[in-house]
Amino acid sequence: MVTTFIDKQQDAAGTLVVVFLRGGADGLNMVVPHGDDGYYRARPGVGIKKQELTDLDGFFGLNPNLKALAPWWKEGELSIVHCAGSEDETRSHFEAQDFMDHGGLAAGGWLGRFLRSRPDAGQSPLTAIAIGPQLPESLRGAPSCASIQSLEDFGLGKDIPAGFLPQLSELYRTAPGILGPAGMDALAALERINALTRSSYSPANGANYKDDDFSSGLRQIARLIKGRVGLQAATIDLGGWDSHVTQSVIMDPPMRKLSEGLNAFATDLGKNELARASIVVLTEFGRRVAENSAVGTDHGRGSVMFTLGAGSSGAGKVIADWPDLSTSPLVGPGDLPVNHNYRDILAPILRKQSPAINLAEVFPDHVLKSPT
Amino acid sequence: MSTTRRRFLQAASASGAVAGIAGFSALSKVLEPLLTGPGDGLAPFGPPTGDEISQEIHILNRLTFGPRPGDMEEILKLGTRPWIVRQLHPEDIDDTWTEARTRHFEALHVWPLGELLEYSAKELLDQMTRDKILRAAHSKRQLQEVMVDFWTDHFNIDPSKGDSKWLKPADDREVIRKHSLGKFRELTAASAKSPSMLWYLDGRLNRRATESEKPNENYARELLELHTLGVNGGYTQQDVMEIARCLTGWTVRARDESRFAVGKVAFKKHLHDDGEKTVLGEKIPAGLGAGDLDLVLDIVCGHPSTARYLAEKLCRRFISDEAPEVSITSTAKAFSNSGGDIRKTLAALFSSQEFLDSRGTKVKRPFHFVISTLRATAARTDAGPALQDYLVRMGHAPFQYPTPDGYPDEAQPWMATLLWRWKFALDFANRSLKGTSFDEKKLVRSAGGKTATAAHFLGRKATAQEISALSASGNPAALLIACPAFQVF
Repeated sequence: MVTTFIDKQQDAAGTLVVVFLRGGADGLNMVVPHGDDGYYRARPGVGIKKQELTDLDGFFGLNPNLKALAPWWKEGELSIVHCAGSEDETRSHFEAQDFMDHGGLAAGGWLGRFLRSRPDAGQSPLTAIAIGPQLPESLRGAPSCASIQSLEDFGLGKDIPAGFLPQLSELYRTAPGILGPAGMDALAALERINALTRSSYSPANGANYKDDDFSSGLRQIARLIKGRVGLQAATIDLGGWDSHVTQSVIMDPPMRKLSEGLNAFATDLGKNELARASIVVLTEFGRRVAENSAVGTDHGRGSVMFTLGAGSSGAGKVIADWPDLSTSPLVGPGDLPVNHNYRDILAPILRKQSPAINLAEVFPDHVLKSPT
Repeated sequence: MSTTRRRFLQAASASGAVAGIAGFSALSKVLEPLLTGPGDGLAPFGPPTGDEISQEIHILNRLTFGPRPGDMEEILKLGTRPWIVRQLHPEDIDDTWTEARTRHFEALHVWPLGELLEYSAKELLDQMTRDKILRAAHSKRQLQEVMVDFWTDHFNIDPSKGDSKWLKPADDREVIRKHSLGKFRELTAASAKSPSMLWYLDGRLNRRATESEKPNENYARELLELHTLGVNGGYTQQDVMEIARCLTGWTVRARDESRFAVGKVAFKKHLHDDGEKTVLGEKIPAGLGAGDLDLVLDIVCGHPSTARYLAEKLCRRFISDEAPEVSITSTAKAFSNSGGDIRKTLAALFSSQEFLDSRGTKVKRPFHFVISTLRATAARTDAGPALQDYLVRMGHAPFQYPTPDGYPDEAQPWMATLLWRWKFALDFANRSLKGTSFDEKKLVRSAGGKTATAAHFLGRKATAQEISALSASGNPAALLIACPAFQVF
């Protein structure tokens, strides 16, 4: 009896889930430095009052719309890095997203390169997925990736004649060379997917996914992770963050979706799965410290990054190297600095997911800071 | 419905007016009814009749992206030697139909390079991808397409880096396609000065050491490791550094510097390290300036390790993943003796007994698998998103390999693509693949029946097991495309 690739998945490495907040999410209002007067002076209209926040560490507090993430902070699972971002200075959505997705001036996407350079690269037909209609640039160059709307996209379809798979199976069972085992692997993966799509999925631990696309997408990912189909990476985007006007009106709904979705996802995964999976949340840039005249904010630089799960570290304190907003010089027209390059935050997570990875291949354009 | 060349050209020039007004897709609509080109008419054809893959089928399998209906008769009529010779001289093969079919990818034919900036990077990648798919599927100059694919991987450029987004089409045309069957030294020289390559491997940033700048070794390293001697070719880190010194000073005008002169390559003397260097034991005298590049190319292209490294790759492509030593040695010899003449090297390879005997020893990479399906069925395709999607899922989308080593040419890295190949087979056979279609009834009729059609796909008579599998499958076309025998060549 041949051991298929699927059989080996029980012990295989976990899944990296990349959540991209498209539109330049205002980290300053998501993780608020309530201990910094300068914040309130710069944001008389847009600023969040201290009593509305969930305090994190005595200086920073979580926006009320993100309070579903609070338990994960308390449990030491959620890690927060402020003044995080890339060195791109264009403040252009397209340029900054492109830069971040590529991992700098490099060919292909950073995630695609990560998946290709791993020693166990490309062994699964389901190596990487993107939830949604399109593949993000970050996955460009991956050994295999598919954008899916639902699990059914992976199967061979509902209309295949009854005799097809058995005949295909028999031909591959007797095929010479490596096609035989490869065929058995593919059939095992297919069987696993069919089993997943046939059964209805019950989230574990009382996890409560809402109906929006973001939560539904995370639900699909959770299903695939638990299904042990060889998924090494999944990407999902959440848009709607470009809050030039009436910030609260624009930002509150995506913040709620983000926190409730992630909360349901992490709950559903449970302790053991969360120890294998890694979740990162990033955005292409943050927003101007000072609010504008439309009670909104304009494009800035540093923002927040969240990480959960394997390779995530720094529980209990928000990592920032915070500039005093009253006295410190800000960047350019008045933006938060980028004190923490996103690649340095990703590095330990990537190492955890693939210990033998050569990070210089994943981030050829960046000299990584050694872990502190 | 077939068409005369004259009628086709009349329509093409008329539709030129349409294109001017209504653009790309309108032009396609005008051309579509006339796209039954030579070889697509599905005239009755004879499938293979042997129990084993014949010499002729084997040569078609290896030198093309898969036999089309009628190809076997053509090679039988000409004789295998003359057929191979003909493929080695694509300039002697009339490919008007394919040229016309791909002409409307106008971005790929523009000059000067600045014109490429008129297109979005997305549009350029799409046009390059469609062009490659359609040429591979339809061109009569099949060996040329196979070699273009080979050299595209060998001198890999992922256009998504920097200005390469807009410059790779020029590289495809002026470097790869121009020299694919020419002299290796000329191919490498063109690549070294290719604006797209100067971006991709940072040659444009390679400056002589000063207080503020230093050489960038990226291209020098890959030139040795991947393009010429190969990683085991016997060069040292010192050689990398010396070659980097030699290649300092080559610059390319960037998009944000000058839209008009974008991509212009210029050697800047003041950025060049003009001292004496030693490369692979040979002295490069001081003061040669831009001439350093020529000497470097002479040294690396003429190095015996290069002959061997290239021979290994060519034997891997045309014979098997673990080609016999005797083939590598003789191919390397042919390369050296011919002064690095690709055509002559291939001619020698194709005459060798090891090549002729190596039936079914290679597994098709995904691009080859998809194209061979289109060719075997005389399918029509717009090479659009639906088709391209499959290549992305299988990790073999044209021009999307991130690192300089190019898509791997061995079976193992591709084994996880089987599930997607099966999905493709069903989608294609069920005519649900948007933008691609084939006439199954006509194909079967032209082949002379179902059993004959199976033989056409397999390159030999189907076994009893295969015949009964096809009947029992409920979808014989899909099974033929998905089956193990169609994955090998």
